[in-house]
Amino acid sequence: MKKSKILILVLSLTLILSLSIGAMAQVKNPTTFTKVNMGTIDSLDPHYQYDNASSEIYANIYENLIMFKKGDITQYEPMLATKVPTVENGLVRDNQTTYVFPIREGVKFHEGGTLTPEDVKYSFMRGLIFDRNGGPFWMLYGPLFDADGLADLSSRVVGVDDPSQLTAEQSRELYEQLDQAIEVDGNNVIFHLPKPNPTFMSAIVHDNGLGAIIDKEWSIEQGAWDGSPESIPEYHDLAKEEDALHENPNGTGPFELNTWEKGQRIALDRFDGYWREPAQLERVIINYIDEWSTRKLMLQRGDADVVYMDKQYQSQVAELDGVELITGLPNLYTGYGLMNWTIDTQGNQDVHSGKLDGNGIPSDFFADIHVRKAFNYAMNYDAFVKDVMDGDGQQARGPIPEPFLGWEEDSPVYTMDLDKAEEHFKQAFDGELWEKGFEITILYNTGNSMRQTASQMLKYNIEQINPKFKVNMRGIQWGSYLDRLVAGKFTLGFIGWGADYADPHNFTVPFMRTDGTFGNFKGENYAEFAAEHNIDELVNSGVETTVQEEREEIYTEIQNIAYEYATDIYLYQPTAHILMRDWVQGWEYDPILHDGIYYYNIYKAQE
Amino acid sequence: MISYIVRRLLILPIILIGVTLLVFSMIMMLSPYQRLSTYVTDPSQLKNVDVDVLVSRYGLDDPWYEQYGRWIKGVAQGDLGWSESAGATVNEAFIDRFPATAELGILALLPVVLGGIVLGVFASVHHNDIWDHVSRVLAIIGWSVPTFVFGLIMLMIFYGTLGWFPPSRLSAWALEIVNSSAFINYTGFFILDGLLNGDLAIVGNAIRHLIAPVVTISILWWAFIMRITRSSMLEILRKDYIRTARSKGVTENVVVYKHAVRNALIPVVTVAGRMVLGLLGGLVITETIFNIEGLGQFMAQAAQQLDYPAVLGGTLYFGFLLIVINLCVDVSYAIIDPRIRLG
Amino acid sequence: MEWQEVVKRLFQNKISLIGLILVIAFALIAIFAPWIAPPADPRDPYMVPRDGWGFEPQPPGEGHIFGTAEGQYDIFYGIIWGTRTAFRIGFIIVGISSLIGIFIGTISAFYGGWLDEILMRITDIFMAIPFLIAAIVMTTILGQGLRNVMIALITFGWMNTARLMRSQVLAIKEEEFVMAADALGASDLRIIFKHVIINTIFPLVIEASMRMGSMVITASTLSFLGIGAPQGYADWGQMISFARNWILGGEGNAIKYWYTVVIPGSAITFFCLSWNLIGDAFRDILDPKLQ
Repeated sequence: MKKSKILILVLSLTLILSLSIGAMAQVKNPTTFTKVNMGTIDSLDPHYQYDNASSEIYANIYENLIMFKKGDITQYEPMLATKVPTVENGLVRDNQTTYVFPIREGVKFHEGGTLTPEDVKYSFMRGLIFDRNGGPFWMLYGPLFDADGLADLSSRVVGVDDPSQLTAEQSRELYEQLDQAIEVDGNNVIFHLPKPNPTFMSAIVHDNGLGAIIDKEWSIEQGAWDGSPESIPEYHDLAKEEDALHENPNGTGPFELNTWEKGQRIALDRFDGYWREPAQLERVIINYIDEWSTRKLMLQRGDADVVYMDKQYQSQVAELDGVELITGLPNLYTGYGLMNWTIDTQGNQDVHSGKLDGNGIPSDFFADIHVRKAFNYAMNYDAFVKDVMDGDGQQARGPIPEPFLGWEEDSPVYTMDLDKAEEHFKQAFDGELWEKGFEITILYNTGNSMRQTASQMLKYNIEQINPKFKVNMRGIQWGSYLDRLVAGKFTLGFIGWGADYADPHNFTVPFMRTDGTFGNFKGENYAEFAAEHNIDELVNSGVETTVQEEREEIYTEIQNIAYEYATDIYLYQPTAHILMRDWVQGWEYDPILHDGIYYYNIYKAQE
Repeated sequence: MISYIVRRLLILPIILIGVTLLVFSMIMMLSPYQRLSTYVTDPSQLKNVDVDVLVSRYGLDDPWYEQYGRWIKGVAQGDLGWSESAGATVNEAFIDRFPATAELGILALLPVVLGGIVLGVFASVHHNDIWDHVSRVLAIIGWSVPTFVFGLIMLMIFYGTLGWFPPSRLSAWALEIVNSSAFINYTGFFILDGLLNGDLAIVGNAIRHLIAPVVTISILWWAFIMRITRSSMLEILRKDYIRTARSKGVTENVVVYKHAVRNALIPVVTVAGRMVLGLLGGLVITETIFNIEGLGQFMAQAAQQLDYPAVLGGTLYFGFLLIVINLCVDVSYAIIDPRIRLG
Repeated sequence: MEWQEVVKRLFQNKISLIGLILVIAFALIAIFAPWIAPPADPRDPYMVPRDGWGFEPQPPGEGHIFGTAEGQYDIFYGIIWGTRTAFRIGFIIVGISSLIGIFIGTISAFYGGWLDEILMRITDIFMAIPFLIAAIVMTTILGQGLRNVMIALITFGWMNTARLMRSQVLAIKEEEFVMAADALGASDLRIIFKHVIINTIFPLVIEASMRMGSMVITASTLSFLGIGAPQGYADWGQMISFARNWILGGEGNAIKYWYTVVIPGSAITFFCLSWNLIGDAFRDILDPKLQ
């Protein structure tokens, strides 16, 4: 019949078409780099963004005063400054409270402006004023003002807690404070610190968007902070949709934005007016695809040059042709089991009866050192590192990861020892716990297999010790996880922290200080313990000196406290890895950018 | 008829408000901190964050009617709010993703309806013999395979092993062309845009990427259309005028294809209209598995991230679509078959 | 048609016979699960045992006749105990949502007027959200877990039954014997039960049978998306979600991990198939137009 003939025609046409196109897909463009990542870009505003996916984009578009020496996060090199200030070259003065940065001349912004010292000062001021809640500027407020953020400074200077409520007069007063910390002097920009602080340089280095330099005139045109001392309340803590620089970046970096399809794809083009040699790649495309199988296939077929891969799937790519997997890269990350020392038992299903009666746990369950130690001895660290992490990584030795000060290869750690766990359980609550038993529900956030497995190991081992011990596991969504942490209802669950800047202080604060991100979730019992052992003072003293030996001693002691008192279950420090085509050349690992790539030095060539 | 349409249109806003209230009341079952997870998507974002300030910034602890009122006020001004999971306004997010879904949906509708009708006619002609049973059982098997299982197996065979039908909407090289300034995006439908730009390679590539998802959807819905065609055909084949035609010596083929099919299709057409919404639900999984960045995938993602402006906006869009489709179906049904009284 | 006649025809019809045999087989597996796959921890039989902590799935072999899924979960155990999960999901969701639908549909049709109008508009509202999206939203809000999946599917699963019931009751209401009973002064409730429900039971059973399959599919879809059954719970959809990142296999052997998809996938398919076959044959038997 007629109809079927048409059908056959259409089918065969489609087939021919698709086959001929299949051949074309093999053509690979050597000057275009394609990466397939997971997740989404939060913002292109360097002062707003504070996540891995966004910072990769920032790092290629914007530049800072200084940058890390290639492949070494302990040494700096000049970027938009012409010299790295040191005590030796006289640019760090006044007992390390004055830092002088001579600014490079002849640097162009993507949109045509020329870099001036005024731009540098404006950039920092704009960021400090912007200081969004949950943003990165606390890293700078510490060294520059000895404060947590603009709100903290505002309440100190003018007595107003919320900078958005400032009057024009108060705004001016607060502005003076900010203004006197950063000074333009001829071709130099000078920072004045209240006291020496070892974290200042690592906070403003390239890789951290908070130190990104933007074009003053252009930014004001776009609607960013207008430069007026009175407008702090208008430009403080803006939401993404009100942020003038959310989607139109203009930096001095080697690449400029071509298109950003939110949630899907971003394309960067080479900036030919770059102050150094222009980059070798003409274009960089980053696609965001959550499905691992798709990412893998794109890599396999050469459609992608680098793809994101979860560690546990590495067996699938080990033998792929033309693909290179580099593992064992340093990863500044500590994964740990957070124990809530003060559990809110009110209406909390995870503590069951909420009492020490064999059918639940009391609020201060984890405030008992023997319970904590028993849990620590019941974790199967070796199996976790060997099987779950596939051998790529190591057991954590406290909050501070390798290679920071305080991390020591031979420091004491817990190993799985069910006899010792039993011993400690018997001593807990003066033996009452052993007699009566307990029931607890520990939490993991759904979709995270590593945390789920770690919880399962605890359950498996602890239930073996005493038949009266019952450990349940509950997977909850990240939202509920967060809710329970904030509400103090969290029992025990695994969570982790990655470095913002290269200093152990970035780890001791969140894990150990009572007002740190995680310490804050552990309640009064932990605060009491911390007060007794002067933990907050100890953590703070780590940045009150710049003498390496003194710092090392402090951080070693903090690590030791974490072990000695089993404050939590420090579980693992993973390694990082990258999966790419073997024609990718010039790649260098940067542990702060982590999964992100600095594309300036990269080119594609078959060896 | 006119009064019926007017009445239905008057009910429309009531239903839409009801739908959004329903979804909103579900969202309000969550604590403000839980809903904060829309904005704080992982632990690293807790650094130096004051959760209570964030809660009050987004007004998450206001009474529900204030929050709903704020939202409805925005809707009245055409502003559906900001979708955190898309990183864009809800309107933008939907407009960006609409072409992918529409392209897939429209292309799937064709084989679904045609295939279903062919199967149904075939089965009815062979009523109660072995072919009837075989085709029915095959269709029911198709109906019984979960979309995600079928999709995964399709990927495994036709992409993983044979490399024929890749996921996503276009290959990397084609995306480059589509995103270049030389290519004009008239509609966002890649097949159409490819034709309009005279670039057949793009058209071919887009079609190639659509084959596997279209087949996956078709398998599911064939049984549905077939069932209706079959029973409608069986009914009509017994009607007097068909018997008369037969007795007059008209050949069986002419009876079936000329007289019966035409009449039997009336209920099929109306059902196909209603099926569009069922298809939208099915697209959630198909789009997720084949990595097509469309509305279905977006809604599933938004729901899982508790991105409630997107979820609310989505239900509003879908509810509107459903009601309009239903209305069109009812009206066209009445036009086709004047015996039907609307009421 | 009489009960006995319908049952007799169901057994005579080859299509429904296959369906019935499959359902009975599944029921036997569910009943004898503790003997077929003895649980390691009788307190928690629905947790699939893990054989080690590694990630890569292991092919069928000794000790694991169906192999292990990602995370060394035993697929065989998951399939056997998952049968119980499937029956539980199906019966509870279809049972409760049918009751709700019957109640709303009957009241709506019987009393008519403004009550009918309100109930039907509420039905419209619930139907205006695509089913799967509604289920995803509600499960996400209630949190992971099978109980919450069931609540969500019941909440958005009663409308078709309500509509069906309403049209059936309306049709029967017109019929003479109901009018006669009404005239004789029988109470509302008795009329509803005696005449209406008895006369509408068959279409409802067909509807319920077809929904058994689709509800189990939807529940497993939610598990597949990671918001249904918790990780490691004996549920077919959950077992398949383990396969998601392994479907393209290793180099040169794309179907290396086929068993992670195909085995649990077949279990769901056959389960739904059995109910759909019964429902389909049932409908044929009862449809007077098709006799």
